[in-house]
Amino acid sequence: MAKKYFLFLWVFSGLLLGGGAWLAAQDDDSSRIRVNVVLVQLNVAVTDRKGNYVSGLRPEDFSISEDKISQTISTFEEGNEPTIRPTTHGAGQIADAGQEAGAALKTQDARLAGTSIFAGSNVFILFDTSNYMYRGFVFAQDAIADFIRSLEGVSKLAFYSYSRDLSRAAPLTGDRSQVLRGVRSTVAGDDAALYNCLLLTVKDTVQLKGRKVIVVFSNGPDNASTVPPEDVAELAQSTGTIIYMISTQQAQSEPVSTAVFERMSKATGGKAYFAKSWKDETQAFASIRDDLAHLYSLSYYPQMNPNRGWRAITVKLVGKNLQKYRVRTRDGYRLLQPAQLSSGSFVEAGAGSSQK
Amino acid sequence: MRAPIRRFAILFAGIACLYAFYPVYASGQQAAAPRPGTARISAPPPGNTVIIPGPLRSFLRMAGISQKASPEDVLPLLARNVYIQGYEAGRETEFLLLLDRYVHQARELQALAGPAGEIHVATCEEAIPLIQVLGYRLRQNCGQKNAVLVTANPERAFLTIDSGFPLMGLEEALQKGTPFSYSFPTTRIPVIFSENDWTTLSWGRRRATGSLIDVLVHDPSVARLYWAISKVDVETRQALQQSAGLRKLLPYTAVFDFYGSQICVRSGRVMVPGGANAEHAWRDLVGASPDSPEDFVVHLLAKDNGWLAVYYDALSRVNQAQQAHLTSTPRMRHLYDAFRTPEADINPTRSVFRKAPDLLVLFTRISWDPDGNMHVPGSLEVWKEILNQKTDSKIVRDWAKRAHGWNQSEQLLEAMVSMARIEADSGPLQIYLMLSELDAGRPPEKRLSEGTVRLLASRFAQFSNWYLAFAEFPDLNDTSITRFVNVADAIDGISNAPLRGNTLGAFQANIGLWQIFARQGEIPVSALNTSWQKTIEPFAKISSSGQLFDAARGSLGELMLASTGKADRTEDEIVDLLAGPPQKSAEGQHMRQEMAARIRAVLDDQRLVSLDTLFALSDGLNEMVHGKPASPRLVSLAGELREFELPRPIFTSTEKVNWAPPVYSSRHAELQIKTDLTKVIKGPSSPAQLEAARSQLAPFLRDTLVGLNYAYYEPPGAQILHINPLFVRSHDFSGMTIMGAERLWRAPELVGIGTPAGGGAYLLGSLADLPYALAETEEDFIAPENIQALIWKESVPDLLVSSTLPRWWGVSPNELHAVALYQRSGEELLTDSVGDTQLRAKVMNILSDRMTPGRLERTEQATRSPADMAEMLPRMMPADTFYLAAEYRRKFPAEEASLGPANKELDDLCHQNPKDVDLDRLSKDFGVPHPTLTRNYSPELLNVKPFPAFGGYSSRLFGESWESSNLYWARLADEMGYAPVMLNRLAPELTRRMTAKIFATDLEDWQALLRAMQETGDEFRQGKIALAVIPGTDLQH
Repeated sequence: MAKKYFLFLWVFSGLLLGGGAWLAAQDDDSSRIRVNVVLVQLNVAVTDRKGNYVSGLRPEDFSISEDKISQTISTFEEGNEPTIRPTTHGAGQIADAGQEAGAALKTQDARLAGTSIFAGSNVFILFDTSNYMYRGFVFAQDAIADFIRSLEGVSKLAFYSYSRDLSRAAPLTGDRSQVLRGVRSTVAGDDAALYNCLLLTVKDTVQLKGRKVIVVFSNGPDNASTVPPEDVAELAQSTGTIIYMISTQQAQSEPVSTAVFERMSKATGGKAYFAKSWKDETQAFASIRDDLAHLYSLSYYPQMNPNRGWRAITVKLVGKNLQKYRVRTRDGYRLLQPAQLSSGSFVEAGAGSSQK
Repeated sequence: MRAPIRRFAILFAGIACLYAFYPVYASGQQAAAPRPGTARISAPPPGNTVIIPGPLRSFLRMAGISQKASPEDVLPLLARNVYIQGYEAGRETEFLLLLDRYVHQARELQALAGPAGEIHVATCEEAIPLIQVLGYRLRQNCGQKNAVLVTANPERAFLTIDSGFPLMGLEEALQKGTPFSYSFPTTRIPVIFSENDWTTLSWGRRRATGSLIDVLVHDPSVARLYWAISKVDVETRQALQQSAGLRKLLPYTAVFDFYGSQICVRSGRVMVPGGANAEHAWRDLVGASPDSPEDFVVHLLAKDNGWLAVYYDALSRVNQAQQAHLTSTPRMRHLYDAFRTPEADINPTRSVFRKAPDLLVLFTRISWDPDGNMHVPGSLEVWKEILNQKTDSKIVRDWAKRAHGWNQSEQLLEAMVSMARIEADSGPLQIYLMLSELDAGRPPEKRLSEGTVRLLASRFAQFSNWYLAFAEFPDLNDTSITRFVNVADAIDGISNAPLRGNTLGAFQANIGLWQIFARQGEIPVSALNTSWQKTIEPFAKISSSGQLFDAARGSLGELMLASTGKADRTEDEIVDLLAGPPQKSAEGQHMRQEMAARIRAVLDDQRLVSLDTLFALSDGLNEMVHGKPASPRLVSLAGELREFELPRPIFTSTEKVNWAPPVYSSRHAELQIKTDLTKVIKGPSSPAQLEAARSQLAPFLRDTLVGLNYAYYEPPGAQILHINPLFVRSHDFSGMTIMGAERLWRAPELVGIGTPAGGGAYLLGSLADLPYALAETEEDFIAPENIQALIWKESVPDLLVSSTLPRWWGVSPNELHAVALYQRSGEELLTDSVGDTQLRAKVMNILSDRMTPGRLERTEQATRSPADMAEMLPRMMPADTFYLAAEYRRKFPAEEASLGPANKELDDLCHQNPKDVDLDRLSKDFGVPHPTLTRNYSPELLNVKPFPAFGGYSSRLFGESWESSNLYWARLADEMGYAPVMLNRLAPELTRRMTAKIFATDLEDWQALLRAMQETGDEFRQGKIALAVIPGTDLQH
């Protein structure tokens, strides 16, 4: 008797969870194969040696490999421009013979036609309220408020604050006024559990469509987290969340945090800033805004890959003329289990599990 | 501004003050509708209020007071926060400076608001003075979209933000060129007595202002007296003011604050513990008659530097039956003499916390033999030996000398009371409390033998946390107990530290599994002793990792044999068994699957190697040792050991050593990463090499067995268990990661907090008390819903444990309904007591065993009118109403049928299904564990008064005395038609939600718990809460 194959799309984050990939598992019923299809999204910054952004690149200028397996770009977007479906790199080749879920992907393809899967960015601002000096507290708020006002093209914003615990002061919304009110509603806290709260923030991004960005504004070293930064970084990488970190401390004054900030942000495709004055803070926010406006967004459906552990991603530019430029993006991801993605936030009845 | 702003969290408020009778008039503010958990608001006499500049909301933010505090709580909580947080080494803290500055800024804004109490600016020019007061300036011009407010004066701007001024509203008005209005009224809040009564107490410069706010903020002694007096009931405080006067109490403020809240004056007489029978003895002890409240209270507070007040307070908090025993003549006098003797000149208020918590525990839990004497575990002779054990305490040594001539238990009781003064966790008193709990659960003929008592006492400092298992399972006999100690000793004797650590982990993990299976009734009672002994016996002689692997496997097999009749079980079968006993109903089966899925999710996310793989590998290697060829499957199984990867490193090895040397914890996991059996399997390998390879499986087996325990006790909303794959592996059983670590058999401690280079926090110690340790680990991943609120560390772990440790597999629908009926019956009794003097007296007498004088007074006041009672009922704890109904029915069985419909329905249920309404059964099924108070993890309803906050390990007493949650969730489930098994999901998730809603100010703020619980219940009833489930296991209701 011929086996019947039923394909199940299990797309945790709408479409764009950077984590999981072809996670095939056979059900007890041997006639059914459960396949989880997840698109891997990459946010890529291309700069010259001076740090200037390089724009105008096309899909064919990029090559992506995962564990050294060449990948086919599925969608491409520069900054906030509309999505492009590549043609030169096999448009329509989204589901080739090596990919188990061809039928499913065609369905996905149809759903994508005519719409941008990167329908704007979702930016979460995570503000440290622990142990502030008055001056730092209010000037930091001013800088954040300016940043929020300046973000054009970002579909939604959220403002969280943290000390020992996380406070979701302004949940994700398109209403800037609400977010600004959230900024102005914060109160000074006590200990700092940055990595605990960053973990919860990353989890809040899991089910979102579009680009996912977290901007951390830290006022000092973490002294209360129970989760290590490695796990937070991995989760951010695996969910395709970019982390930018702004520290009010000078880089050399706190080497542990400096190491974490630089490495975590780099691993997720973001950047770290060490701002010793409020003017530096303002400049850091301007730099982040600039970065967001110049990111390329690429996505691919992973080819068959037996690796269940860490999957290394390499993005390169194609062609001699482009080798002088630098590429910054996350360097891999890990397949995640559903419980690892469960958010610490409460699910309101009727909200469902689809995108927010 | 140099010092950092450390806003103390909204965590602390006072319970007694919630029942203050001073009504409120909030001038300029819309009076809030009464909410559950908040006191009633009505117009006060004008003289009994004080003015706060600006809106109450802003003042509360700056004063660190919960926004949900009722107006009559504001001044007490302000007073409390000032004296607790306002001074360090005699200097004012930033908290106090900010509060003071805010009051000044608010007065400036008040001037701008004018008599109408409204700040109104119509134009940009008009806004300039306001903006300046707020500490901001306008960037760009008015009416422009980019006109924004930016900081001009950081200190003022900070106050503006911290107090919650609507800066964005002002900014938007300036951008649009529209008028801005903000109500900025003076707020009147109630004051105890009159403002003048307090301001005249102060000698400071603030007295001249005549403002109580200024006096409270700058005079900590007056503030503390205000807080103290707010905690006693209204009649008492009025009697004290009129007799003693506030000034006479001022020298004893600290004693009054810590130990005076139970003082109760009625009709001009002090109601002493023990009642009328004890009045004479109290008069002798205090040196004043209870008929003279002034003399009595002042003498009580002053006597022996306050130690008599400590004693009086402890006696006041126990129930009437215990009081009768303890205040009998001459016992009360003798006990106090023993209590006061050790260094009476030391002040019992010298610390942040109350002293002598174990005196209250002893008085609460002491059990009496039929002859009226205190029960003595073992014999008096054994206790003489125990007192002679080596000790650094002079008090103990003195008692040991005196003990030689003892011939009655009363002398031991006096010694125990005396030792309540010693701050210790493993002294003779703690041994007594533990061993008496062990005996309490055993029938007379099965009490602990002298030998066992001697043994347990001698090893108490080391193994005491494990004795809780012997309290939870009183069927475990002397042999089982002794065998445990002997095997534990043998394990301690293993010289190889890694082997000892792995043995400790595997041994404790299997005992943990035994406890779970026994608690769930999966091990027959008749097999408890044999299964216990067979589970621990294999670990008696371990000298190699290979032996350890076989011992752990054999031990698990014995456990499975006792639970299922078959030793060899797959991991899936074991997980199913852990999830719960087999269920007949579809809902039960589905819920069991869901619980199993949760356990598996933790095992998966911790990337633990399955038992099946480990056992198959061991078997395969064993066969190879005996000459059989390697099975082709073996290499693939060996590959599973290598599937675990460490997280991608952020730090280099050198950085880890330099930045986190004391807590660098991943050595165990790193050894596993290096484990590669494939080469040995592919061979050729000698038998010794094969055996060595097999021994490498032992650490993996330890981790999986430990992981099963972790997974079972997963707190709701857990994150670390799913995100840090090193968490289980990092459990340090042998103290390897911290030099000199001791107490390895004691409850685990969470170490490595706030050490980013340390690989994450992990547990150090044993698996005893694991549910609490995991709750402590995960609690801060619950995000508070209220701004300024933090997770309440003193009570939240207990709340979480109370929702996860009990399971509801054997609960019948009738039983669930009975729990609801008991609560409703209690409410009926209260309602019916309105206007019924006789019933009211009975009801109040019953409730007096559970309520503080303040709460009891307020409840009694409510019985004067139906409207007051209707308002009071939502403020009753579910444990109060449950207890009231149960006790009433026990004491007055003939009156059951004459009561309301709930009582009648309960009566019918009692007759039709007496087993389902059996109070012992309900107590076991809907109670909570009290590992600190009763030294026992068995869920139980103790029906004690709320315990006060203590320091150290006694800090858990407060949380353990909260018994209302499971009763409330059960009633909710019954009313909404859920099957009882659904409580396995409902209770943890609703408790998590409740935790996020807690908005308390004080350590003893029970009303904040009640309010959060009821808010959660309301949202659940309204369908606003979806309960988190593992995908694919959702059970539709």
